[in-house]
Formats: sequence, structure tokens, C-alpha cells
Amino acid sequence: MLNHILSAFRTYMHGDGAVLLPEMQLFLFAIGTLAMDSWAANTSSEKPGTNLVFQQNYWNPAIALAGTAFSALTLWMLRARIMQSGDLAGFHLTLVVDSYFVFFSALFLAATALVILLSVNCSTISAVRQGRYFALLLFACMSMMLMVAAVDLVVIFLAMEAVAISAYFLAASPSLSNRTPSAAVKFLFSSALGSALVVYGFSLLYGLSGDTNISQVARALGGRHNVAKVIALSRQSGPQGLQMLQLLQSRLPEAVRWHAFTLEALPIAAFMLVSVGMILKFAVPPFQAEFNHENAETDFGIPSAVILYLSGAFGIAAVALLLRLLFTIFADSQNIWWYIIAGMAIAGISYGGLASLRQTNLERIIVYLSIAQMSYVLLGVVAANEGAATAMTYYLLTYLFTVTGVFGMLITVRDRSTSAGTLNDLRGLRQRSPVTALLLIVFVLSLAGAPPTAGFFGRYFIFHSLLETGHRYIGWFVTVSSLPLAYSYLRIAVYAWRGTKSETESAAVAFGVSEAIVLGICVFVSLAAGLYSEPFTRMARYAFGQ
Amino acid sequence: MLPVTHYLFLSFALFFIGLTGVLSRRNLIVKLFSMEIILNAASVNFMAFARLYGDASGQVFSILVVAMLALELLVALVIIAAVCSRWKSATPDDAKDLSSQLDY
Repeated sequence: MLNHILSAFRTYMHGDGAVLLPEMQLFLFAIGTLAMDSWAANTSSEKPGTNLVFQQNYWNPAIALAGTAFSALTLWMLRARIMQSGDLAGFHLTLVVDSYFVFFSALFLAATALVILLSVNCSTISAVRQGRYFALLLFACMSMMLMVAAVDLVVIFLAMEAVAISAYFLAASPSLSNRTPSAAVKFLFSSALGSALVVYGFSLLYGLSGDTNISQVARALGGRHNVAKVIALSRQSGPQGLQMLQLLQSRLPEAVRWHAFTLEALPIAAFMLVSVGMILKFAVPPFQAEFNHENAETDFGIPSAVILYLSGAFGIAAVALLLRLLFTIFADSQNIWWYIIAGMAIAGISYGGLASLRQTNLERIIVYLSIAQMSYVLLGVVAANEGAATAMTYYLLTYLFTVTGVFGMLITVRDRSTSAGTLNDLRGLRQRSPVTALLLIVFVLSLAGAPPTAGFFGRYFIFHSLLETGHRYIGWFVTVSSLPLAYSYLRIAVYAWRGTKSETESAAVAFGVSEAIVLGICVFVSLAAGLYSEPFTRMARYAFGQ
Repeated sequence: MLPVTHYLFLSFALFFIGLTGVLSRRNLIVKLFSMEIILNAASVNFMAFARLYGDASGQVFSILVVAMLALELLVALVIIAAVCSRWKSATPDDAKDLSSQLDY
């Protein structure tokens, strides 16, 4: 009996199980964190203060970190396996393990580990039953990995909803904050609207193709697109047009009366619904537009670590999924939709930059600017050549570490010495703690795209691919619309460097061990990728199997 | 059997009713209902196309949409309930006047 079960398990692990193994490990560790949490809470409530060994503050993050480590190890083994024997697919071709999945999963695991480390000493995350918080982080990471692995519309939808529900709880959980976060309510509603639009778009795609597998959908849409092309050609005057018209009359006589655009209209509608829905769902824009607009100074009422997770990892997950959909389903009609994407990118960059100018709260400034940062990635989609693919993944890789660095800085400065909620609180940071000021400036310069840092190469690669494919005017538009963005980042750097501190606070900034680790990793990546970018570009190239 | 375009028009109508509701109403619960109408429009689409192609995956999708809809409704209602007890209203405009007292 046992042998049967074991052999069945072994067969499963060689087939479908291997595809899902990293996610399953995260899931088990999340459950473990929850169980540990309730057990520790019960024991410590009986004898308060006696059970020091099981102080939850350290056990919960430790288990969660172990989960990400195990999952990363499995991912590494999977990577070796797909290098030997090609991509894996499982669960009736709904999930795949390819280099794209491995790259982005590693990115999500790194983001989750960094956020866990930053949350250990975070005072805004209440110490009571914080195991839930870490379990939610692991669940969110697992769902994001599923989202990137999925190649079937049904599974993509399920994974997206799983990510969103973890996000709602992370943003709105009352145990995480003692205030009612109005930003969380806004986030919930824009995200729910986004998922409704995406599902409607998916229903159109299903209707156009009769299948839910994205490569099948792509094939059906490609056929449709080819018919549209032939119709457009047959309307031209000259011998070629006449030839096409004859071809059309012999093959598909009823199509002679059709207009090419009507054939393309439904796919474009589906494309618009899916991309706008995805942007509404995950990207941060709606998240800061609050109900009353007078509060440029107050923060969101959500812990900084959660905001970092929402604006960093979630944004990257959304972009990763959008890229997969764009490059498979909508690959054939790229010449039609690149206008839309370019418009969205330029609008996002200008909106993020301009809106951040009005803000004085540091978190708000950085979250607004993260809209602009994500919009830069879309420019790579406009260029859509090999260089652009590398540029986008390189950009996302370095962006994750620099934005984590900035948030880590804010969390450290605020929790340890004084409130660094607003720009004015940064005054005199150099005198209080030169290292802190210097680190903050490195991160901010990297986000702004200044030369010796990682951010510069991210921008450079994207601009290079734009020019390579002849989108010179878009390059100009983007340069002009980036000016407020650069100003906004430089403003933070200037505030941190200049000015004398107020007399009231004079505490130096001290780093905890976990924050020091996070900041060390982040500053290493944002400088190393700027000074010697070869290993990082190789990693970025790996994502698209080059 | 009705042709598929009839169902498509129905679902377009539902979609626009829902979208208008989301964009124009201020009350959070009405907004939530309007979003559910959009999801139902998608569901109608899936069922119609599943019938058209004789393919079961559209029906599966439709059932999953309903399940997800229930789940999302649950989460959203919990959050709205938490907000309402604080704001004493489900409409953010009313809450504006209270915001100074509530330290929000």
C-alpha cells in the first residue's frame, strides 16, 4: 500500500509535480507560518514573558525566509533541468517552466525575501500575530509565480485573482495598521474594476479563438490578422492589389465586402481591455488618488513594507504577465497597438513625474514616481526587438533592488531615530548620519537614471532599442516628459544632503542587522550593475532564452 | 437557436451598464454591484462562445468567474464594513466632512 502511494508520488513529482514544486514549497511554508503563529500565540498568552525562545518576532520571519530559500533552491534545480532537457510543461499545458518563468520567479522570491527582512523590525507592523502578515507575503509570492508560469487564460485569471486577494488583505488588514486606510479601499476598487475588464477581454479572446491556451489564441488571432492584411492589400490599386483581390474571391468570397478594420476591431478591443485592466489592477496609479486631496503630507496608512511590495513586486508581476501576453497573443498585430502602448507610456511618465511634484510625503513621491518607472518598461514593448527584451528585463531587475533600497532607507530612518515622513524631515540627514544620506542619494540617483548607477544603463538600453527601431520622436517625447521625474528625484537628494538639522532631534541613525543586509544587497546591485553591467545583462538576456 | 450576436449585444449592454455604474456612482456598495455586472457580462460571453464552439472550457471559465466573484465580494464587503463603521457611511463624500474628527 505504502509502496503504491510512494510510487504514485514519485511519478507525480517527475511529471506535473515538478512544474509546481517551487510554488508548493512556498505554500507549505506559508501554512507552517500560520500554524506556528497561532501555536506561539497560545503558549505566550498562557505564560506571558516566559517563552523567550519562541518570540514570534523572529520565528515568523525566519520560517518565511526559509520558505523563500527552499523555493529558490528548487528553482535553481529546475533551471539546471530545463537547460538540459528543454522547457517543462504540465497540467494539460496550462503551466510551463521556461527561462522567462525562472527569471521572474527568482525576482519575486528576492523581492519577498527583502520585504520580509525589512519587516522584521518595522514598528508599523504590529507584533501581535504577525505570522499572518508573513504568510500573506508568501501566498502573494506564490500567486505571482503562478501568474508568470501560466499559459492558459483560465489559470492566468485564477492566479491574478489570488495575487489580488493577498494584496487586498495586505493593504487593508486592520491588524497591520490602527487607522482605516482609505488608500486601501481605493486600491480594492480599482483592482476589482481592473479584473472585471481583464475578464471581459479574456472572454472576447476566447470568443475570437475558441481556445484558452495562449499559443492557440495567438494562432487564431494571427490567422485573422492575415486575412485582414490580405483585404487591406486587395484594396490597393495596381497589379498586386488585383492579384490579392482575385485570391480573396477564390478563397474567401464573402470577405470581399468586409473592411480590414472590422476584422481587427475585436482583437484591438480585447487588447485594450486586457492592458488597461492589468494596469488598473496592479499598477499603482489609482492607489494614491485619494478621496480628499488636501493630504499631500500624510502617508497612506499602509505599512511602508507593504507599499514597497505593492509598488515593486506587484508592478513587476503585472508587467511580466503583460509582456507574455503581448509577445504571444498580440505579437502579430504589433504594428497596430504600439501607438496605444507608446501613448500609455508617455502619459504614465508625465503623470507620475508631474503629480509627484505636488507631494511632500516621501512615500507618496516615490509611489507616484513608480508609475513613471513602470511606464519606461512599456517603451521596450514599443521597440520590440531583441535588445528591447534584454533592456526591459534588465530594467526591472535593477529597479526592484533600487526601489527596495529607497524604501529600506525610509523605513530605517523613520523607525530608528525620527520621523522621515516628509521631505522636510530629511533636512540635516548628512550631519546626523553621513552613511545614510550617501546611501539614500545613491538609490535616488539610480532611480533618476544618473550615470554611474544601475538606473542609467536601464534607461540607456531602452533608449538604444527605441532609436534602433527608428522611434526617434518617441525618444524626444520621453526625454521631455522625464524632466519632472528627474527633478523630483534630485529634490530628495538635495534635501538629504543640504540643510542643518533642527535642534530638537539629534539621534543618529542606527541600522538593525536585517536592514543592513537588505541595504547592503541593494546598494551592491545598484552600483555594481552600473559599473560592471555584464553579469546583470547576461541574467536579463537569460529571461528570453538568449 | 439564437445566433451568437444576440448574446454579444446583451453582454455589451451589461458591460456598459456596469462600467457606467462604476464610474458615475459614489456609493461603494453600488460600485461593487456594478463591477459584478461587468463580470456577469463576461460570464454571458463565455457561455455564449462555449455554446458556439461546443467547447467546455468556456463553461469552466464561467463557473470560475462566479466563484471568484463570490470570493471578491466577500473580501470587499469585509473591507467596506470596516470602513463604514469608521466613516458612518458607505459614500466617501459623506466621509469627507468627518475626516477631521477621525484623524484620517
